This record gives sequence, structure tokens and C-alpha cells, in this order.
Amino acid sequence: MLAPLSWLKEYLDITLSPKELGERLTEVGLGTEKITKIDNDVIFEFEITPNRPDLLSIIGIAREIAAIEGKKVKYPGVNVTHPRGVIGSLKPKKILPLKIKTNATINPRFTGIIIDNVIVKESPSWLKDKLNLIGQRPINNIVDITNYVMLELGNPIHAFDYHKVKDHLMTVEQAKGGESFKSVDGISYHLPKGAVIISDSETIIDLCGIKGGFNSATFKDTKTIFIRVPVENPILIRQTSQALGLRSNASSIFERGVNAGGTIDALKKCVDLIFEIAGGEIASEIYDLKKEAFEPWKLNLRLSRLKHILGIEIPEKKILSILSNLNLLPQVSYPSFPRKRESSPRLDRGSTKSGMTESTIECTIPTYRNDLKIEEDLIEELARIYGYNNFPKTLPVGQIPMQKIPYFKDYRIDEKIKNILTSSGFSEVYTYSLISEKDIESVGIQPEKTLRIDNPTSREFEYLRPTLKPNLIKALLQNVPNNEKISLFELGKVYKGENLDEAKENYCLSGISNNKNYFEVKGIIERLYEDLGTKENPSMCIEIINEGVFFKLNYSKILSKINLQKKFTPLPKYPPIIEDLAIVAKPNIKTVELMDEIKKQNSLIVDVSLLDQFEETRTFHIIYQHRERNLTTDEVAQIREKILKSLKQKFGARLKV
Amino acid sequence: MEESLIQIKNAAVSLILEAEDLKTLDEIKLQFLGRSGKLSLAIKDIGKLPKEQRPEIGQLANEVKKVIEETLAQKISNIKYQISNIKKKEIDATAPGIKPNIGHLHPMSQVLYEVVDVFKSLGFKAADGPEIETDYYNFEVLNIPKDHPARDTQQTLYLDTRNSKVTPGEVILRTQTSSMQGRVMKKVKPPLRIIVPGKNFRYEQVDSSHGFEFWQVEGFLVDKNVRLTDLFGTIDYILRQLMGQSIKIKFATTNFPFVEPGVDTYIECTVCKGQGCSFCKMSGWSEIMPAGMIHPNVLKAVRYNPQEVGGFAFAIGLSRLVTLRYQMDDLRLLTNPDLRILEQF
Repeated sequence: MLAPLSWLKEYLDITLSPKELGERLTEVGLGTEKITKIDNDVIFEFEITPNRPDLLSIIGIAREIAAIEGKKVKYPGVNVTHPRGVIGSLKPKKILPLKIKTNATINPRFTGIIIDNVIVKESPSWLKDKLNLIGQRPINNIVDITNYVMLELGNPIHAFDYHKVKDHLMTVEQAKGGESFKSVDGISYHLPKGAVIISDSETIIDLCGIKGGFNSATFKDTKTIFIRVPVENPILIRQTSQALGLRSNASSIFERGVNAGGTIDALKKCVDLIFEIAGGEIASEIYDLKKEAFEPWKLNLRLSRLKHILGIEIPEKKILSILSNLNLLPQVSYPSFPRKRESSPRLDRGSTKSGMTESTIECTIPTYRNDLKIEEDLIEELARIYGYNNFPKTLPVGQIPMQKIPYFKDYRIDEKIKNILTSSGFSEVYTYSLISEKDIESVGIQPEKTLRIDNPTSREFEYLRPTLKPNLIKALLQNVPNNEKISLFELGKVYKGENLDEAKENYCLSGISNNKNYFEVKGIIERLYEDLGTKENPSMCIEIINEGVFFKLNYSKILSKINLQKKFTPLPKYPPIIEDLAIVAKPNIKTVELMDEIKKQNSLIVDVSLLDQFEETRTFHIIYQHRERNLTTDEVAQIREKILKSLKQKFGARLKV
Repeated sequence: MEESLIQIKNAAVSLILEAEDLKTLDEIKLQFLGRSGKLSLAIKDIGKLPKEQRPEIGQLANEVKKVIEETLAQKISNIKYQISNIKKKEIDATAPGIKPNIGHLHPMSQVLYEVVDVFKSLGFKAADGPEIETDYYNFEVLNIPKDHPARDTQQTLYLDTRNSKVTPGEVILRTQTSSMQGRVMKKVKPPLRIIVPGKNFRYEQVDSSHGFEFWQVEGFLVDKNVRLTDLFGTIDYILRQLMGQSIKIKFATTNFPFVEPGVDTYIECTVCKGQGCSFCKMSGWSEIMPAGMIHPNVLKAVRYNPQEVGGFAFAIGLSRLVTLRYQMDDLRLLTNPDLRILEQF
């Protein structure tokens, strides 16, 4: 939303400098994105939050400035006794026929009037300049006036060419879906089901709350107009706007909730300007079709609740002045009789009117502030105008909760795992969860059996990765031009399941290296398992690929098996006997089989490892140890005998001589 | 007797193998082979044995002596060789050392673990939840019904529902870690102090300060007596712990449907030191931590009584915090696996 300082100044005197004003407005919730100086003016660019339709108008922004500067806004005047008619009551001299059929559910309020004998032409330069200043292209005087009044007051207005409305019939209804509609700027749309439209006796003439129709628009030859100032249903407008991907100033206001009490004022202001700029005379009573009164509502604020939530006590005088600067007409009521001891201390909000037991401020909420619905909303009003940066800072006083929590995650385990990998030479990467079809196919997975995004930002990021492999391969290749030794790992989620019913996300720990061989990688993982107090054979998790050695571990599974409860084992008091046995065995016999066979021969063998391997000879390093006494050479000789016998029987292996 | 000889041998051999210098080896030699050394004393005792046992034990004693002497000699020559080797080359001590080949922990992890620790000091526990989330937990329980305009600020990526029973539009990639508020609060009662680090996804065009995947650390505290000043104090404490005591922090009003009052937190941009740059959209400030007092509608949705308990919630933009911490001018650097970046951390 753009707002020129000169325009804002029409409604109040502004004391703050543009920079100070921008900072203060940001603090109170009107995010100031940009302040631009041009000629003799300053243009503010604001980001409007979804709860504040009123700030999509110059008068709304002026009211906000008034609230922070402690001033009152001068409302834009309307010439109530214009020579062409009494606009205050808008009594027509003649009446043109018009039949309106509407329905309060899809169109809560329909305000309008017919004006005859207007002259459509270029707008005067003051009007064109103003519109240009805030990026609104001038079209003709009638359209420009409706835009101007919308920008000033925040109620969208549409002007129809009265004579182009067939049979002078306007029916507000919902589209069946698929109907064709040509908008005022000449673009055709296929309407989604449920879009609120106005039809005459033949065709659709308006896409309500979003864009007017080409066939009923105001052009040079237009002589009679119908001005419509509606209140539209926010949800219906939003659904249609989303379905068409079509937004307008009007739709942004309607989907946030327009000032439902402001249609008559906007209509009068519009008529006033039309008389001044385009001439003409009113030719109907004011139409105002509605089921609700659309009047200001009451909202109570308990002073105790205010203090309880804010943590500070704002002086009552200050409270009243803030609320009153926001036009909320605060009325304080004190307990009408001495406080009694109540059997139930809990009070419902709003039950304070009669039998009130605490000081309460009753506010009257203007219809343009439909974001103020509950007590907490008023508390925010006070806090923001008081200034968040004026609050003291405290730390929570409650007890630290001791209970177990659902979804608990112990980040120390992640840290431990990553520390082992980094100290082994692997660097950590974070890659995207979303990958392309090509990525998935590159590792031999079928895209049709992979979870997919319905509305990806691009084909590059369309699928949920079922493995970390393609990203790690790409990461390695990216580093090849600048590095010789590349070892990378990632601990991240992978997404499994062929469709959403089976969808499951797991943490996966994967790595890739082009400078470590299979056994080095395997050793690192073995060490990782040892440190986590679990014992697994990682052979199945490691593969040799073109780019190097790749591993993947199911982290969620590791988590379920780890045991970080360490227990000290006293050191042995007696020395071990250590010997190396060179065993000759056929290459097809697996090392792990030989080792297991050696190990199981006697419980005095506390460790067996592979020391060396050359052609058919594998040298095993064997440690014999008894915890209570010294071993004798005889004992060891017997065990050795048993080992050799068993290896010979099972594998045809022998001791190298 | 036999046993004690073997013990002497084993003890001597292991000591010799462990020794690292010549002086220690001299001491070991004296301790075992010296005139009153352990082996010498043992040999003297052989004389006290019955005659028939003496030859056998004597032979064993000789073998033990031989093993110890040989081991000692071997070790001495090893050490002498090493010393002479170094001396021979006359090392240039100014040459750089040989660095161990150690990898690098990603800056995101480094900061994340710090964040977790700092919150732990305030009694917050970490929770971890799904990224594939329902519309209900991501939006509806947080007071953002369907067709609420606030959904525009969090454009959503929807999961393809082909071959499944899921209604299109109901399952999404979470747009905020706030989705865990409902999941946790529905299962446990206050008091609660929880943080939720995690990845989020939005339909967003990528630029230097926005990504379609980004990290947040959600946090929420629910208790009997929680005040807005507690929220300000907690944010202030956390950010100063993470970014340094001297950083500049300011608060502003904002609107998120799941908080009221709503708070936004800015810190002075570290990339340009508040001068204005492309990373902070020329404002000199970077939005880092949206927050607020939990909206009564959210408390009601998880069956808490808003008149009895209240709370605050916040979300730290972790990716942005990392870039601001290290003065990185582009969020995309965090997902770039270039070792020349990673090795800086």
C-alpha cells in the first residue's frame, strides 16, 4: 500500500519526521517497507497485515498516525447541500427503474444509487496526479472517482453503465462454473464454481468484489451510471480470487473484511465528487439491501486481565487516552458494590456488566476495526500504542517443567555422531529435501513410486528424496574441480512410501568419500557403532560406486538400539599373552568366518583382529587373557592347537610355516 | 617357581615395549637383570630347590634371561635409529606441521546445538515432528481456517495424493514448525517449555534472503502466569546469548492469527552493520524472530482454559540467524556443499 505524505496531511497535522514516522508505524504494526522522497512529497510503502483491511485506505493510515501522535483525524467533508441536490439525504427529482435481486449470504450488503446525465471525460489534473502518485492508472473521470474514494475510505466501489444493464435487472448469484466472463480490461476468464457474480437479463455483467465486466463498463458514451458500494463475503471472494489467480485492490479489501458500516459514507463521497467533476443528477433513492444493521459493537476489557497479560501496570489515564485516540470510546466502570467473596472465583468474560466485581473498560468498536473481536485484541491495541520497546524485560517465573514430553529429541546424540564423522575426516552438508525426477532416476528409483509435490516451484524440486544418495553424489562432483580429497556426510530426513497412505519420514545418515577405501569407511562406521554402544555389521550399508564409497545408515533404527549407559570395567590384573597366527586359506573363505571360528574356540580369547593379508595368507592377531590369573604357555598352546584343528576341519586352512 | 619366572618375563617384556627412551630402558635393565634385579634374585633361589628340579628350572631361567636381553637390545637399537634419523635431517622447525585430516561440522549444526543448549538453560526441552503435515496442525489448530488471508503469507506446497485415500489439499509440507504446538499441547498439560527445531517448506521464489526450504526453531511456553514482558525478556536473553551482548534488538507489532498480541523481533543487520544492504532489503534491520502471546483460540483448540493458563510462542529463523552470525550475505550458501565454504567453519 502506497501513501503520499501530502495526502495524509489532508486529515491531520503530522509532527514526526518521515523517518521517525516510519519507525513508529512499524512498531505499532504498520510495517514501513520503504520511504521515497519525490519532488515536494514523500511516498510511504507499507506492508499491510491480513487482519487490517482498514489500513488499505489513506484515512485508515491517517487514523493510525493520529493514534500515535495523540491527535484527531479531520474526516473528509461531503457537500451536504450541493446545488444539484441535497446529498445528505439524497432525494431524487426523478426515478429511473432498476430491479435488484440479491441474497445476504453471498452479498451481505448492497448499497447503490443511479446518477443520470453524467459527462464521461478525462479527469481533472489534481485527480490524475493523485492517482498516479500511488500507482493507479487514470482511466476516465467516473472510474477515477470510484478508485479515488476506495483509496481514501477503503470501500471498493463499482460504476455500471445503467443503459447497458439489460432490462435494468441486476441479480447477484453464484456461478455454476465454467461460464465465460470478460473483464473491464478486456481479459476473458472461465469462472470457477461459486464465484459471486451479477447478471442482467442476458449475461454476466460483474465479477463481484474482484473485477467489473466489460459489457457494462463506463466509457465515453456513457450517460447514466449505477454506483454500487457492496459488502462482499470474504471467503467467497478469496476462493474465487485464488481459483483465478486474480487479485485486485478490491479483492484484497474484501477478503480481509471490508468496513461494512462504511458503504453509505463512501457512496455519498462518490456522488459528491461525481457532481463536482462529471455533473449529473441522482435518479433513484439510495438502495441499501442488507439483513444486519452493521453498527459498532461493544467489547469489555478488565484492567486486571490487562495487567496479568502485559506484566506491567499502565496508568488508567494513559489507558483511556490510548483507547480514545483509537476512537474506541472507552467508558470505565468500577465495581458497583464492595467485592463479595464468591464461591466460584472464575469469571466469564463479558459478565462484568451487572454484578461487576472488578474495574472494566467498555469500548465501542467502529465498524472499520473488525479485527477487534476479543479482550486480547484490545490488550494488543494498548500494548502496541504504549510501545513494545518501552516495556521492561523479565524472565518467566514458573517452575521448570519436569514431565516427559512427546516427540522428544536428544540433540546430544546427533552431535556425538557428527563429531565422530568429522573427526574421521567427513564434512557435513545440508542439502534440499526436494529433488528432481532426473535425480531419482539417477539412483535407479522409479519416480512413480516416490512422494511428489503437486505444485512444485520448479521441476528441479518436485519429488521428496527417498535417499540422500543423489544429493551427496552431486555434492561430491561439485567439489572435484577444487579438491582432491572429498568426504561428505548428511544427517537428514528421507521420505519413504509409494503413495501418501504409506508415507513415512525417517532420519538417514549417509556419507560419500573419494579418498577413503571401503575398509576405512567401514572402520569409521564400526567405531561409530561402538561409541553408541551397539554392535552391527555395517557391510550391508556400504557400497562402492563410480564416484567413491557411499554409505547409508538408518538413523531412526540406530536410535532405537543405542545404549549410552557406559559402565567401567576394571583393568585386568594379569598380563595377556599375545600371538600372531599366519593362516593359509582359500580366498573364497570370508575373513569374518575365520575370525568367528577362532574366537569361539575358547573364552580366554578376548580379541581377534586381522593384522595383515598377503596372497593366501591372513595373519590374525590373537589376545589370550584370564582375568584372575596368569596364563601358562601350555594353556595357550592347547588353545592354539584347537584353533588350528578346527580351521583345518572347517575350511581346509593351515598354519603357514 | 616356574610361574614366577614367566611372570618376570612378561612384566619385563611389556615394560620394554612400552618404554620410549633410553633412560627408561636402562632403569628396566637394572630392575630385572641388575645384581639385585628380579631375575638375578630368582636365579639365586634356584639353589634352594630340590636337586632333581634344578636343571629344568635353570634352563627356563636362562631362556627368560635371553628373551629379556634380546627384547631390550632390539628396543634400544630402534630408539637409537629414530633419534639418529631425526638428528641426521636437522629439521626445519619453521615448516608447517602436518594437520590431521578432520572434517567440518556445518555452521547450521553448530548454531543449532548452541540454540538447543541456551534454551536448555531456561528449562526448554527439544521436540522433533513430521515435515509431511496435515492442514489441520499446520493451519487450522493455529486459528488459520481455510480461506483465511493469512495463508497468503505462507504459500504452501501440497503433496500429490495419487494412489492414496488422502483428500487433495489436506496433506502438505509444513510451512512452519509451529505445527508442533497442537501436536504437543494436545498430548500434555502445562506447564510446558518446548522448542522445536526443524525444516519448513514454502512455495516461494528463491533469493538471497528467502528459500523454499528453511530452518526454524519454534518455541512455546505455557504456564499459569505468563506475561508479555516474559516474552520480551526471553527473546532478549536468547538473542544476546547467541549473537553477543552488544547486538541491537527492536520489537514491533505484527499479526499472526495464532498469537495476540503479536510481536516481531528485528536485530540490526550484521552484514551491513545497519547501513542497509540487499540482504536486509536496505532497512538495516533483519527480521529474526516472530512471536506473541498464544491466542485464546489456539488454547481452546487444544482444550486448555485460556482464563487459567496462557503462554507465549516464537519462531527463530535459524537459517537467517546462521547467515547473520557469520555475516553471510546469501541464504543459499547454507545449502551449497562447496568445501571451500564448509571448511571456513
